[in-house]
Amino acid sequence: MLDGSLLVQMLIGALLGLSVYLPLAAGQLSLATPGFMTVGGYVAALLSTRVAALGGAEPLYPLPSLLLELLLAAVVALALALLVGLPVLRLRGIYLAIATIALNEILRVVLLNNSWTGGAVGIFAIPQPFGDPLGYLAALAVLLLLAGATCQAIARHPLGRAMAAVRDDELAASCTGIDSFRIKLLAFAASAVLAALTGVLAAHFFNTWNARQGSFDASITTLAFVVFGGSRHWLGPVLGGLVLTALPELLRPVGDLRLVVFGAVILLGPLLFPQGVVTPALLQRLLP
Amino acid sequence: MDVLLQILVNGLSVGAVYALFALGYTLVFSVLGVINFAHGALFTLGAYLTYLGVGGAVGSNGALAGWALPLALPFPVALLLAGVGCAGANLLVEAVAFRPLRRRHAEPLLYLITSLGAGVVLVNLLQIAFGAEGYALPADALGDLPPMLTLAGARLRSVQLLLLLVCAAVMTVLTLWLERSRGGRALQAVSEDATTARLLGIDSDAMVRLSFALSGLLAGLSGGLVGLSVSIAGPYFGIVYGLKGLGVLVLGGLGSVPGALLGGLVVGLAEAAVPGDLSGLKDAVAFAFLFAILLLRPQGLLGRAPITKV
Amino acid sequence: MTMPPLLELRAISRRFGGLQALEDVSFGLQEGEIFGLIGPNGAGKTTLFNIITGVTRPSGGQVLWKQTGIEGLPPHRIHRLGLARTFQNLRLFESLSCLDNVQVGLGRSDRRRALELLALFGLQARAAEAAGGLAYGDRRRLEMARALASAPQLLLLDEPAAGLNPGEKQELSALIRRLAAELHLTVLIIEHHVPLMMQLCDRLAVLNFGRLIALGRPDAVRHDPLVIEAYLGGAGGAGGAGGAGGATEDPS
Repeated sequence: MLDGSLLVQMLIGALLGLSVYLPLAAGQLSLATPGFMTVGGYVAALLSTRVAALGGAEPLYPLPSLLLELLLAAVVALALALLVGLPVLRLRGIYLAIATIALNEILRVVLLNNSWTGGAVGIFAIPQPFGDPLGYLAALAVLLLLAGATCQAIARHPLGRAMAAVRDDELAASCTGIDSFRIKLLAFAASAVLAALTGVLAAHFFNTWNARQGSFDASITTLAFVVFGGSRHWLGPVLGGLVLTALPELLRPVGDLRLVVFGAVILLGPLLFPQGVVTPALLQRLLP
Repeated sequence: MDVLLQILVNGLSVGAVYALFALGYTLVFSVLGVINFAHGALFTLGAYLTYLGVGGAVGSNGALAGWALPLALPFPVALLLAGVGCAGANLLVEAVAFRPLRRRHAEPLLYLITSLGAGVVLVNLLQIAFGAEGYALPADALGDLPPMLTLAGARLRSVQLLLLLVCAAVMTVLTLWLERSRGGRALQAVSEDATTARLLGIDSDAMVRLSFALSGLLAGLSGGLVGLSVSIAGPYFGIVYGLKGLGVLVLGGLGSVPGALLGGLVVGLAEAAVPGDLSGLKDAVAFAFLFAILLLRPQGLLGRAPITKV
Repeated sequence: MTMPPLLELRAISRRFGGLQALEDVSFGLQEGEIFGLIGPNGAGKTTLFNIITGVTRPSGGQVLWKQTGIEGLPPHRIHRLGLARTFQNLRLFESLSCLDNVQVGLGRSDRRRALELLALFGLQARAAEAAGGLAYGDRRRLEMARALASAPQLLLLDEPAAGLNPGEKQELSALIRRLAAELHLTVLIIEHHVPLMMQLCDRLAVLNFGRLIALGRPDAVRHDPLVIEAYLGGAGGAGGAGGAGGATEDPS
């Protein structure tokens, strides 16, 4: 039933869900998670296919090279997030949502029109650091645990309260001593880095990478993870990513209706379940 | 000289479409202070409805394969009906995605999410019904009008001229209506201050519905015209315009009617000026402008600096 | 031999489009005093609060805090200097618990201190409840607790008695006096209920149409012909229902 490959995709979904959750926890909608994942994937794809020295002699791609890719992807994503966030996050309101759409589109256009990144077909034959899905599962699980533990630590820290305060009322937060610009920028940058790290592992796993990974559909899908799971606790988007990634695979007959279902989740979720499936009240009952 | 004129003509006609888009966003934004992300989907709906109206049949990949209306309407009639249909659809979007949130004074972020959801549902339902393939409206849809006009050396397709005229007409009517009529002034009053407007006896719910109906009408009309002008590239083609329209909206200034026009024309002209060998990058122009304006003048070319309400 | 003022406004003016919300307003607050700001709706009182706390930039003039200009600083920097405020229309962090609202004000995790502050306002039993679910009077008190959490030197209260019944108004007045004395607070307070202000404040400033029309001790202000004119001549509502409907002051 649940094969290794599906589990890998579910973990990727959970990580992307967390990436959307982080800025949302500070009241900012970023639709650029797939865009940053695309960037991370390209860093991995380009380094591993174009830089021979990273390949090594073994049939499996060396792990130190993979770590180097992760590091570099994080740096590139961080730089890009600052470039977008610095002008945009000084503004209050909905500008980040619009700017991240713009970022996705610029990335897509540039990647499609650049022969160096393989144009529309993208990059093929990305080498494998792991022999089977189990290795990817382990790597993604480590990343997810790290990200989850970080979110858990933030939630108990004044930073987590500051994020929630900015989400509830940015102006009141500012007047209560919170540097809301810094908080928003931090959340957005963390979101970008996490998506890029996920992209590195995803590019190796999928073996091929192209600009379609960052399409508008992908933005919708990742947003649905968070709306479904809830954005009041980090377990919400993790659950959302796991379940909604598995759902279309498990329910094959849904087929063409996949995006209609996701659209309906995004449309009706905030109306019927404003806090998503995983609510603080639920968690209090489960984990006293 | 001819080249410049040609760029100008092409740029203006594309820019007119963007301006119509930004206007559609602006109408809703100026009343509710939020953006209706379903706008691009309504544009798509308008194009498909126009296609059906002139007697087009559904292609082989859609669930409705082979289906067509039993009659073929003249293009202007089909276009108008499509506009009305989209006005109705946008009222439905308002009732489902906006009104429940408005009732409980939800944060603006949630409107973005629900309207995005409404757009995605609509686009994908269209995809299921019509398939992912492109559709072209019949070339003779404009009847006896010559397909191409020559104007001082620049070539202009009749449909482009029509787009320009519709854009100019809509802009004029809208501006006059907003400034002069009772309904338009009521709309503006609601956008200035909903509470005071209510005290003055203006029904802000009715104004919200009016703004959604109008912007839906705009989306439908521009969808049908662009469908005729460049053909319908598939259910997602409205989304592509819709995203660019957001760039135009921010460039012109959120909530500014002349800003929407200016922004549309600036982006249209800039795209037309992109040289042929770089044409692949054309689709990034609107977004480059968006970032530039956010850096230099966040309230947009003609927008007013926002006033913080405490 | 007067001390230099803790907070001094020098020729503050602010325009919104064509509207002059404030024009050439100057006054100073001495350390430890309770200073009232009164005037009809739309006189510019909240706009002045916004300028002091960095929410709105003045079009002209200076805000001096301990003789240093702070106009143009962002709100969080001004807050850290020791100025905290409440809002006319109540701006709590609705999804956070009362305890967390106060801890945001504290800027650190300190349950004990936060509970003490809640207790000061009789809210200790509500500590775990979400702020959004509180009764109106409790919300007003929680906002004051949050503002006090950062141990400010100047507390700015924007219509703290709005919507309270006469008994609650008296309690609040006594509480403000007590807090000011115990915590060595300077208080700048906007309130429509003129009798309350006369009894509570050491000095009053009266704004009308964006201009300062009177400044001084309550007795003197009460008999100032310009003040009587402002309250009786059209704008109305001297000592009236107090903040009817809580209309916003910023024209927007």
